[in-house]
Amino acid sequence: MAAETEAAAAATASGLAGEMEVEAYRRLFPLAFLERHLRESVRPDGRHLSEARHTTIALGAVYSAHGSALIRLGETVMRSLPSSSSPFSPLFFPALLASRAPQLFDEMPSQAMLASVKLEVMSPPAESPDEGSVAVEFHMPPICSPLVRPGRPADVAPVISKALEDVLMSSGTINLKDLCLINGKASWLAYLDIYCLNADGSLFDAALISAVAAFTHLEIPLVSVGDDGRVFTVGGNEGKTKFELVNREKRKLALGGIPFSLTCALHKDNVLADPTSEEESVIETYITVVVDSSDRLVSIQKLGGAVTSMETVKECISLAKERRRKLIEILTDSVEAMEVDQTE
Amino acid sequence: MSVQAATGTYSPAAAAAGDKRREKREELRRHLAEDADWPRADGRSFHDCRPAFMQTGPTTAASGSAYAEFGKTKVIVSVFGPRESKKAMMYSDVGRLNCNVSYTTFATPVRGQGADNKEYSSMLHKALEGAVMLHTFPKTTVDVFALVLESGGSDLPIIISCASLALADAGIMMYDLVTSVSVSCFRKNIIIDPTSDEEAWQDGSLVVAFMPARKEITQLTLTGEWSDSRITNAVELCMDACSKLSDILRDRLKDTATLTSE
Amino acid sequence: MVGLSEGEKHFIRGGIEQDIRTDGRRRLQFRALSVETGVIPQANGSARVRLGGTEIITSVKAELGKPSILHPDKGKVSIFVDCSPTAEPMFEGRGSEELSAELSVALQRCLLGGKSGAGAAIDLSSLIVVEGKVCWDLYIDGLVISSDGNLLDALAAAIKVALSDTGIPKVNVSLSAASDEEPEVDISDEEFLQFDTSSVPVIITLTKVGRHYIIDATSEEESQMSSAVSVSVNRHGQICGLTKRGGAGLDPSVIFDMISVAKHVSQQFISLLDSEIAAAEAEAAE
Repeated sequence: MAAETEAAAAATASGLAGEMEVEAYRRLFPLAFLERHLRESVRPDGRHLSEARHTTIALGAVYSAHGSALIRLGETVMRSLPSSSSPFSPLFFPALLASRAPQLFDEMPSQAMLASVKLEVMSPPAESPDEGSVAVEFHMPPICSPLVRPGRPADVAPVISKALEDVLMSSGTINLKDLCLINGKASWLAYLDIYCLNADGSLFDAALISAVAAFTHLEIPLVSVGDDGRVFTVGGNEGKTKFELVNREKRKLALGGIPFSLTCALHKDNVLADPTSEEESVIETYITVVVDSSDRLVSIQKLGGAVTSMETVKECISLAKERRRKLIEILTDSVEAMEVDQTE
Repeated sequence: MSVQAATGTYSPAAAAAGDKRREKREELRRHLAEDADWPRADGRSFHDCRPAFMQTGPTTAASGSAYAEFGKTKVIVSVFGPRESKKAMMYSDVGRLNCNVSYTTFATPVRGQGADNKEYSSMLHKALEGAVMLHTFPKTTVDVFALVLESGGSDLPIIISCASLALADAGIMMYDLVTSVSVSCFRKNIIIDPTSDEEAWQDGSLVVAFMPARKEITQLTLTGEWSDSRITNAVELCMDACSKLSDILRDRLKDTATLTSE
Repeated sequence: MVGLSEGEKHFIRGGIEQDIRTDGRRRLQFRALSVETGVIPQANGSARVRLGGTEIITSVKAELGKPSILHPDKGKVSIFVDCSPTAEPMFEGRGSEELSAELSVALQRCLLGGKSGAGAAIDLSSLIVVEGKVCWDLYIDGLVISSDGNLLDALAAAIKVALSDTGIPKVNVSLSAASDEEPEVDISDEEFLQFDTSSVPVIITLTKVGRHYIIDATSEEESQMSSAVSVSVNRHGQICGLTKRGGAGLDPSVIFDMISVAKHVSQQFISLLDSEIAAAEAEAAE
């Protein structure tokens, strides 16, 4: 019965389609709009069904953090040309006359996540005196989506925080022993804060990429311990300093088994990789697969929705593995790009 | 151990941080005593603003948005609406402007709580209220949400300018673009667009939000001790900078318009 | 909220135009001021100020605290304002929150000076007892009992009076041998240090109605304002703070004119306030 009315609605919609503007059709009949695309094996944004969005990673976007990364999903479009000549007198904004590359956005992303890792010193708990700790928080500020309002945090934010923490811990990405400074006395507490700047679907996947990238960028400051037991940072060259260094060897975290994830939306027989928020609003069934760098499964999640065959699940897993390979390439490239930037 | 347990976690201070701060202050005192220009940390002269980068459209989910970067200060503003007023409010024949400013936890050197900044929210509202044609969207609300990604000084003026670009990007009717610039004063000297280090030592500050085409000041705040002639100087300096900033905003909007029409 | 008919609005605006306001005052004339000190015995200093129908109680409490790490040579001052629901029905519950926060911020801006402490009403270094260890924390609380416009000016005046009434107990510090230990502090309950309030500024709010501006506006007059500028001025005619209220934009020349008018009015108001304080103190001493 329900299928019949749905079919009828679809028929009405497709009947109307000829007479309507595309944008209006898209808003009024989002499901029919999507299905018409799927019949042609293409997505509303021009992707293939199993294709994830173009992804870019920029490391070191935040000065005040020890490690940070901005990631963007989606085709980036140049919204504005660099202005080559500005007609005002150069008393103010002189540097603008030379078009200047900004640190963050130079183009328009369709999904953006900014992750930062900040280290603070804590005294480790008695049961694990040689371990540090990681505190994960995923934020959805009101700027990111029309559905979030100030003072009322988004429902999904804590869910994603918890899922991220679980994945980072269970995959063994971070060895908590690496965060130890002085056994039983001091260790690092890494605050991982991820801000969603523009919510456009597959939030968990994007958050995980940004988290991994921020930890890749993380550089642990050189520290020493004062007479009062407090830890302080030592600037400059590690070779010549009068302070006794605590963590000369532990400047970078060795990330083990880097996890990456892919969310697939399942609609009838179609598997849509990396859905956008528009697609998420009409599809009910998702599978999120997390695999690590040796293609082992870290987590697989399907919360309700329509029943799904094992074949589909296997397809999702293989798509996730493919995505993982691609993302590792992108991450490696971004690390190289950053190193080139620094040497220049 | 017990000391640390009592204070919880802390970010390790740089070695001899206190000495450095004292040194900096002494240096500033010396400069002030000599009463000469001193080089600012970023190489600007007193009346130079930091290089500004402004851009519309970082947040596609919003009706309009803008991103601004002045030195280390980075701000994103999203504008939503006009949309249904969420709270059960009385009928109003003019629209409502709802402003909110928040900081990320990593915006300041010491990890913050990422809480809303009520003072800035209300200041942003006052700066924009006079420019937005509220009667063009009766019964509805326009939400202006700002997120400071990184705080590097002059945060409020940058939020205000960025918000007015975002409002224009959203197609909200305004009498004029509001731009804002602040100055810090050190004894007799006035420096424009201060960084957070400079703000920490300033004797006083003055923030102007200005509509250049209408030549009207929508918001003006001042702290510290000022003579009226110095106020006049500082306000004129700010207004001049605001007009120039407004030209940049206009260019941005024109760029966007030509690109979308192509 | 003031409900006014069109006729009443016209009457108020017309009066201001002709320099005779509804209560018979000129544009730059204050309402009757009355001052009382020492109204709260537990506080170190307190005052009640009435300005026409607006009534404010302020109290100053001093407590020993620890100076902040950033400013080891300074004490701390915090200012809070609360609006009592007795003043206006809309202040009930959380209704006054926004107004209270706005008034507190405006007062902090006008009284605490710049970051370096320049132009501050209270010399923070005078509040230090032992550098880096012990200082006085001043808690200044304002309570709006009855509200009939011009709250900010009345609050600032009341704080000035309360500070002049404030006595800070003399402290004897015995420094023990170990420097990192907390010093022992002996608070005297007989000897008090008087506060130097000569640099505490007054706030003059100029409310713009039509083309003219008025001082000490009643709430009826405030409902007709397009914008208002609050200027805080000290005895030397220096401007210590400025806040603009109301959304409408103002021409810069109008703002400069308002500042000079405020400066002129402030000197009269300071001498009026000084004589009231002297009278109140004489009365209290009797």
